[in-house]
Amino acid sequence: MATMTLVQAIARTLDEEMARDDAVVVLGEDVGKRGGVFLATEGLQQKYGPDRVIDTPLSEAAIIGAAVGMAAHGLRPVAEIQFADYVFPGFDQLVSQAAKLRYRSGAQFTAPMVVRMPSGGGVKGGHHHSQSPEAHFVHTAGLKVVVVSTPYDAKGLLKTAIRDDDPVVFMEPKRLYRAVKEEVPDEDYTIPLGQAAVRREGDDLTLIYYGTVAPEVLQAADELEKVGIRPHVLDLRSLMPWDKEAVLEAVSRTGRVMIVADAPRHASFASEVAATIAEEVLDQLEAPPVRVTGFDTPYPYAQDKLYMPTVTRILNATKKVLDY
Amino acid sequence: MIKDTQRFKPFTRDPIALVNEHGEWIGSFDLDLDDDQLRTLYRDMVAARLLDERLLLLQRSGKSSFAMEAAGHEGIQIAIAHTVKRGFDWLFPYYRDHGMLLALGVPALEIFAETLATKADPAKGRQMPNHPGSKKLNAFTVASPIASHIPPAAGAAISAKIQNTGQVVVTTFGDGATSEGDWHAGVNFAAAQGAPAVFVVENNRYAISVDLQKQTGSENLAVKAKAYGMPGYYLDGMDVLASYYVMQEVIERTRVGAGPALVEAVVYRYGPHSSADDDRLYRPKEEVEHWKQRDPIERYRKFLAGRSLWDEAWEAELREEIGTELARALEEAEAAGPVPEVWMFDDVYAEPLWPQVEQRRLLEEELGA
Ligand SMILES: Cc1ncc(C[n+]2csc(CCOP(=O)(O)OP(=O)(O)O)c2C)c(N)n1
Repeated sequence: MATMTLVQAIARTLDEEMARDDAVVVLGEDVGKRGGVFLATEGLQQKYGPDRVIDTPLSEAAIIGAAVGMAAHGLRPVAEIQFADYVFPGFDQLVSQAAKLRYRSGAQFTAPMVVRMPSGGGVKGGHHHSQSPEAHFVHTAGLKVVVVSTPYDAKGLLKTAIRDDDPVVFMEPKRLYRAVKEEVPDEDYTIPLGQAAVRREGDDLTLIYYGTVAPEVLQAADELEKVGIRPHVLDLRSLMPWDKEAVLEAVSRTGRVMIVADAPRHASFASEVAATIAEEVLDQLEAPPVRVTGFDTPYPYAQDKLYMPTVTRILNATKKVLDY
Repeated sequence: MIKDTQRFKPFTRDPIALVNEHGEWIGSFDLDLDDDQLRTLYRDMVAARLLDERLLLLQRSGKSSFAMEAAGHEGIQIAIAHTVKRGFDWLFPYYRDHGMLLALGVPALEIFAETLATKADPAKGRQMPNHPGSKKLNAFTVASPIASHIPPAAGAAISAKIQNTGQVVVTTFGDGATSEGDWHAGVNFAAAQGAPAVFVVENNRYAISVDLQKQTGSENLAVKAKAYGMPGYYLDGMDVLASYYVMQEVIERTRVGAGPALVEAVVYRYGPHSSADDDRLYRPKEEVEHWKQRDPIERYRKFLAGRSLWDEAWEAELREEIGTELARALEEAEAAGPVPEVWMFDDVYAEPLWPQVEQRRLLEEELGA
């Protein structure tokens, strides 16, 4: 058992998976010699060579598209997009090829591949280094979508993603890369997709979140506990599939629910969860489901810390939900 | 159809140079710039270098979050600023071009204000450092996604052609940008339309850690022009006079309807990719030292000294003057004060829609409390 950061857990897991299966290859901008701009692939090229850890030309279309071809041809590629904001030049390959290959070929061809990408704000990166575009991916049938927030989950979920037979978009909140250290077991373990993690047990209110906003949500939960309110806190971890059962169970029990995420509000994943709750367990609710999200603006540079849900914004919303 | 310009041939084996490493003129034609023009090129390169150092200092001292150095790129950048028609032609710069924009006439105040996100920033604090722009000077605001500005540059050039304005659109980018689909899409469209666009790659041999051999199978980047039906000039971008004369001829050739051109300016970046990078991970120090021997400023200083256009006293005076100007601009940029929080809701649309109105109110309540 070693203590490590989220980004170290990613590097360690890639190493373990490459050692386990020769078909696993890594490709992306700067992933080889430099070990990735965030060092998520540190040491891998020295260990496995330039054929299995490929420094690609600067083209996300080439990275994602080539990963589709490699996967169809028998490899298990793990592609890195340097920032989630830069998936868009490769978006056509993700949406038109990766997501639809199994379907359109009647499962003759498949694309078992992972597309990793650092996502989210809080690092003073402005609108082109801060976005959380998960809604685009979830909206694209054929893609599985994971958003991690802890080192332990990063290992278990990345292993699952690499071994999965479908394309998985794997989002890593960059502001959490080095934010916390946690014990990560040495042994091989996996975490199934579609299983939320219970971060706090409680009966007064359900707080649902994923990814970047983890520190704010957990701090808000602490504040609530100090005044005697016990929230049930769920980290979804995986958005397609997502743990509808755990959500509906908790919401039915607490009668009050908030969904917190940093992505813009309109047509967001938070909206999907809120709609599902309203459709399926309306009669159990004591207050309308409330979303606390990023704003419907591009991610600003100057207001980096105010764009995503702050602890104050979460607590203000909590008041509304509890006093309803 | 690929047409040569008058003096310079496209697709040369070696980069076009007019001044050798000893600072001697090796051009086959007579220099026709007057002393003032010659000294201004020097002054602007020094100003670019000093601005670069200031921006790095702001990052190091914690006043700004980020810096991208351009030392080593000054030759081609200053040449571009002096060969376009300022405020008439359009520029589509990338994030390493602050020195070029300063020479073009973008006030240092605006560059510092953009860096610090103060109220004096024309972009209202929306962009990260190294992403300036100026409507006044037709310099398209820099975008981070590599090569995403190439198709818009092609579009501006096509528009200039449709409207018969006589403008040329000059676009700059790094070597890595030539691998993006957007790059090919934009260059091809401009060529198919015979639009007045000049594409300039500031080839510093690295895209962060990825060297040119991994970026492309081409012998150099200029040759890529051939397939699009345009001339590709292979240029020593650390030779400011070669850069000046090549750009001048290419821009004017394009202006009179000869269609687009590609210029590969061979440069080197002395610093890491950015303040977030550690270049020791991917390139030897000796290589950096080797390229510094070709420094555009030093080489050109020898050239000027050889013509008695440079001496220590002038250098000191120059640095003092530029240093004072920059210090004053920085002071003014800081004094403008940080952009207000609620500015983030403006300019999403021409008029805010109800989501921005509602969300602005929410933030105001939160901040008021
Ligand atoms: C579409 C896109 N992908 C990735 C990045 C991350 N990135 C920023 S700069 C850079 C390297 C660019 O190299 P080059 O074009 O050669 O210009 P240079 O920085 O060397 O001047 C990369 C990969 C980005 N900004 N945009």
